[in-house]
Amino acid sequence: MTFSTMLSTMSAGMVKTLGIFVLTLIGSLPLGMVVALLRKSRFKVVRGIISIYISIMRGTPLMLQLLAWYFGPFYLFGLNIGNWRFPALIIGFVANYAAYFAEIYRGGIESIPVGQYEAAEVLGYTKTQTFMKIILPQVVKIIMPSVTNEVITLVKDTSLAFTLAYQEVFSLSKQISASQSSFMPFLIAGVFYFVANYVVEFLMNRVEKSMDYYK
Amino acid sequence: MILEMNNIRKHFGGLEVLKDISLGVDSGEVISIIGPSGSGKSTLLRCATFLETIDGGEIKYMGKTAAHSDENGNAVYVSPQELRAFRSYYGLVFQQFNLFPHYSILKNLTDAPIHVLGKSKDEAEATAMELLNKMGIADKATSYPYQLSGGQQQRVAIARALAMKPEILFFDEPTSALDPELTGEVLKVIRQLAEERMTMVVVTHEMPFAKAVSNRVLFMAGGVIVEQGDPKDVFDNPQEERTKQFLRTFER
Ligand SMILES: Nc1ncnc2c1ncn2[C@@H]1O[C@H](COP(=O)(O)OP(=O)(O)OP(=O)(O)O)[C@@H](O)[C@H]1O
Ligand SMILES: [Mg+2]
Repeated sequence: MTFSTMLSTMSAGMVKTLGIFVLTLIGSLPLGMVVALLRKSRFKVVRGIISIYISIMRGTPLMLQLLAWYFGPFYLFGLNIGNWRFPALIIGFVANYAAYFAEIYRGGIESIPVGQYEAAEVLGYTKTQTFMKIILPQVVKIIMPSVTNEVITLVKDTSLAFTLAYQEVFSLSKQISASQSSFMPFLIAGVFYFVANYVVEFLMNRVEKSMDYYK
Repeated sequence: MILEMNNIRKHFGGLEVLKDISLGVDSGEVISIIGPSGSGKSTLLRCATFLETIDGGEIKYMGKTAAHSDENGNAVYVSPQELRAFRSYYGLVFQQFNLFPHYSILKNLTDAPIHVLGKSKDEAEATAMELLNKMGIADKATSYPYQLSGGQQQRVAIARALAMKPEILFFDEPTSALDPELTGEVLKVIRQLAEERMTMVVVTHEMPFAKAVSNRVLFMAGGVIVEQGDPKDVFDNPQEERTKQFLRTFER
């Protein structure tokens, strides 16, 4: 196998890796906010459920969670869902990352001084206006560094998809390396992850800079 | 009467913070509230501005009831939507300013008039610039709060409250978070508002200011109004022992 065929075979895996990455972010960034808000729900039961969910997501290996989502429906409920591999993978990633993002959001929300809520309330803003206009923009600025860390971790965590034998770039590099007795696939995968994270850092940096106009 | 608070009761846990307090504020009146730490001054303002809910008593703005006591003496408020309508009657200036750090000075003054009162952007900005002029900080319109001194920030906070065109303005120790050399510029602005007959209730530890500016002084201690009246009477000829004691700590 020439270098260029190796690269083109692996590029299909790169697309799949990016697919996991993008879908996980699209799902978990907003879901994390929902989880963070439910965590502060008026109802004790809701708060309890959410806190157990977050503990499980953070307290068990993501690899194990992916296996559970993939095999769970069959072993627990005898369900045989067609084409379940990819959905299980995305659900697993989204559920896990939403929990981490929720904790980051919660920390950010709690760090906003109560005086901001009170000033908004006295001015007559509704609760929704207060959250969307006054609180959320400040939270976004505060949590940006933590979110960047989490996103960089996600780039690397996508490789856990190999657990479900999903043909993303990491699985492929292992296969091709074994069949071709070559180290080159690992090198290509390494460069790919590195470049992907470089782009992530660059973009997140731009976002952080765009919020530098206030302290 | 702009504001009527009758027989207000409020407790935190086992602590009775307001014990049957009544306060009426007429249009154009400037009232100073003085008293030792923990006497319930802030709590009274926070009840008047609905940041705290009262246990019992009655709150009326412009003759309209916002809260009253039921037959068991427990406070009943109007619905949250109706309560929001009351917010346009008053403004509150906090000790810690509480400006919105991510908004420019101008936006701090225009956002609520636009999105709460439904004013047009042009109208809101014209009002805001007028107020900033009056506060002597028109050149800061495009700055952000962190770029201003404490005294300037507090003047912005006063302008932000005034931009809502309230009937009455509450101040909770507006100069206590400021360096001594910056209190003057804020007090001057409040004095100027008093001369324009703005209705105000000011919690303060600035005794000379309270004496010079207010029409009435309230001395609070232990959750009750111990003494009130004309500032000259209360400061120069206090009747109650607790008032005398408290005022002595300010002489020196
Ligand atoms: N949210 C709260 N929960 C419990 N106790 C409170 C709360 N707010 C105030 N208190 C208590 O109520 C009492 C009155 O407090 P308040 O802040 O009204 O006093 P103050 O007269 O404004 O004092 P200061 O001059 O120090 O500002 C204090 O003993 C205070 O500890
Ligand atoms: Mg106080």
